[in-house]
Amino acid sequence: MSPLPDVVTWSAAAARHDELFAALTPGARIGLVAREAPTSMLLWEASDAGIQARAAPFPGYFDSGADILLSANAAALAAIYTAVDGQLFYVMRAGIRNGDIICYMLSRRCELEVQGFDELLDALGFAFMGACR
Amino acid sequence: MKPGELKLPYLFQPGQLGRFKIKNRIKYGACCVSNYNTRDGYITEREFARMRVIARTGCGMITNQGAYPDPLGEGKAYFRQVAIFDDKFLPQFERIAADIKEQGAMAIQQILHAGRYGGIDLGYCIQPSDVPQTLPHFRPPKVMTKDEIRDCIRQHAQAADRAIRAGFDGTEVTSFMGYLLANFNSRFTNQRSDEYGGSIENRGRFMRELIDGIKQATPDNPLVVRLNGAELMDKWGGNTEDECFELMRQAADAGVDMISVTVGWQEAPESSIGRDIPPGYWNYLSERAKKTCPNTVITFGNRLPDPRMADECLRDGVFDFWEVCRPLLADPDLIHKAAEDRLDETRRCIGSLNCLSRLFRDLPYTCTMNPALGHEVEPEYQVTPATVKKKIMIIGAGPAGMECAITAVKRGHDVTVFDKAGRVGGSLYAYAMNDLARPDDLLSVISHYEVVAKKLGIAIRLNTEVHAKFMRSVLHQYDVCVIAAGASTDRTHYESIEGAELMVDALDVAHGRIAAGKRVVVIGGGKVGLTVAEALRKNQGADVTVVEKSKRIAGDVKPSFKWRHASWVEELGIPCLTSSRLVKVTKDSVTVRDGKGVETVLPADTVIFADGAKPAHDLFHEFEWMVDELHGVGDAMIPRGLEQAIQEGFRLGVRL
Repeated sequence: MSPLPDVVTWSAAAARHDELFAALTPGARIGLVAREAPTSMLLWEASDAGIQARAAPFPGYFDSGADILLSANAAALAAIYTAVDGQLFYVMRAGIRNGDIICYMLSRRCELEVQGFDELLDALGFAFMGACR
Repeated sequence: MKPGELKLPYLFQPGQLGRFKIKNRIKYGACCVSNYNTRDGYITEREFARMRVIARTGCGMITNQGAYPDPLGEGKAYFRQVAIFDDKFLPQFERIAADIKEQGAMAIQQILHAGRYGGIDLGYCIQPSDVPQTLPHFRPPKVMTKDEIRDCIRQHAQAADRAIRAGFDGTEVTSFMGYLLANFNSRFTNQRSDEYGGSIENRGRFMRELIDGIKQATPDNPLVVRLNGAELMDKWGGNTEDECFELMRQAADAGVDMISVTVGWQEAPESSIGRDIPPGYWNYLSERAKKTCPNTVITFGNRLPDPRMADECLRDGVFDFWEVCRPLLADPDLIHKAAEDRLDETRRCIGSLNCLSRLFRDLPYTCTMNPALGHEVEPEYQVTPATVKKKIMIIGAGPAGMECAITAVKRGHDVTVFDKAGRVGGSLYAYAMNDLARPDDLLSVISHYEVVAKKLGIAIRLNTEVHAKFMRSVLHQYDVCVIAAGASTDRTHYESIEGAELMVDALDVAHGRIAAGKRVVVIGGGKVGLTVAEALRKNQGADVTVVEKSKRIAGDVKPSFKWRHASWVEELGIPCLTSSRLVKVTKDSVTVRDGKGVETVLPADTVIFADGAKPAHDLFHEFEWMVDELHGVGDAMIPRGLEQAIQEGFRLGVRL
């Protein structure tokens, strides 16, 4: 059984937080993989029709096509499961802060800005992180 | 011996590194690249002037800031970082080495290859493995081949040789804070399957070959290696502390002369050097390094800003040399003050990390506490005797006013400071009393002003409000009036809101003039509102909600501290209603409207207003025809923060 949520649940989660995805340009992608066994991934992908969720094999970080990739350990995935219908971004933000989730940036800051990632990165806590501590 | 040297005997005792005798146990650490130099790696006059100040800090050993060793700039981490990849740079390093040695200090040149954080002018960075970035500031990785590894080691060795030929006594390579050396050492970034990856023995191979290469190139000169005692990356699969110390042992066995113990990576999810980390917190890492590498000289100084603490550590064998940098940015005379038993006059580093925050925006570094830093080359920033001695009144004993007063008195002016409050400090005092990170750091700013003002004989008249009537009573007694009265609450945009008069001012609450109740709503999620909200929640257990009209909280907070407020409000359970506006206030509730027009009623026995500040422009209009020269500084001009207050106070003080 995949440790990741199913596509329908992941799609519904995006719909619940549509304001975070509203500015994304078509083609922008956010991936989720299990850190311990990154064989498959879940993607949120922006399109003209809105945010679509889909599952795909995980071909490696750089071939994943994601702009940002969340690599969650088992504890974080369990927390995501529990929160997927509610405070999902609160849980993911906390996971990033406590080290249970690594958020890889596969596109540069300038590219992410152009693609409309501001709100999403803010929700993941990145407006408040940086190399200054 | 000077009186302070007797009190701090371990700090001021001579030391030795290799064949070099060192006058004391203090190493100036290359903690910050200045970003003062040219885009192609040449040192500017601004940098030389800054280095002259560093050379005169009194440290026994001085490390010049990191220079990148490769012509492509793959090792270049900062926009205006110095280069050392070619002999064409020799003359500038000769000048710096000579200046350091002229002051009787040992001169060390750091070679900084930033690895994962490098390639700032390129579209990529080089790393041992293909591990993506976790901060969007940095470049995507390119994996180093074995040939490139060998070239890189050769470039380091040549750079070290170049530094020695320029007159430096030793060199330093650095893994701090996640640079190339750390990338090879760490399990997080080194996932190679060849002899440079896998086991800790293999991961340390690059370091050992680097040490060997540099030692072969410069056999008579000491080599320092900066290594993590803790990466703070272990949760992401980085090295554990045990692994960090195993790598230190490898470095010692490879023949390194000194290990500088450091903490953390730039991208580590934990804080390592900020204001929220108490001084001395990381000392255990240095103690362990001493035990792990008993025959190697150990230097350490992360979050250890006080010479007295350093002296105790030296006495107790925690390290052999105190490595210090940021405290000497804040006060370049710190060591001299320690030697002369004048530590009460010190300007402490308050850990705002303004220095680093600016570097990651490609700006030259500056210091919140030291307004002259980076301007040493400019005569306009020098404290010189005033041509015309003036009688100056300064309205406001906050940081802007006190900074101006002290600078002006040093120039020979006669200064009196007035403040309507009963103490020095202005709004900074209120901020400090509510700060959850480390109030002592902020209060040290106030005590510095009090001590220095007293020693300089500055008259301070507290509980004295300066208004038009008062000004008429002192007419023609002063040549200059400086308005440094700070900002006041601006409710202009709230006047039409029902019940607005029921709101209390955040500064009144912060100063303790008004006691908040148990159910509090704070209007305004900037630094004032957040600080008050956090203190009320943590210290008094109040239920607090923050209402912010912008999309995000902490809009006026320094980048290096935004994350701290974001974490605190979540840890303390303070709801922050963003994109929300105040609609109505009653004696027991607040109504707010969110961005979608939905109204919410929040129960509240206290509503604190922290959303607007206005400068003291009224005073300018009132006093314009009452005094020869009228000036303003700090929040009285434009409400901002501590850094601007200190900078402007100083800048006016050197001009009056």
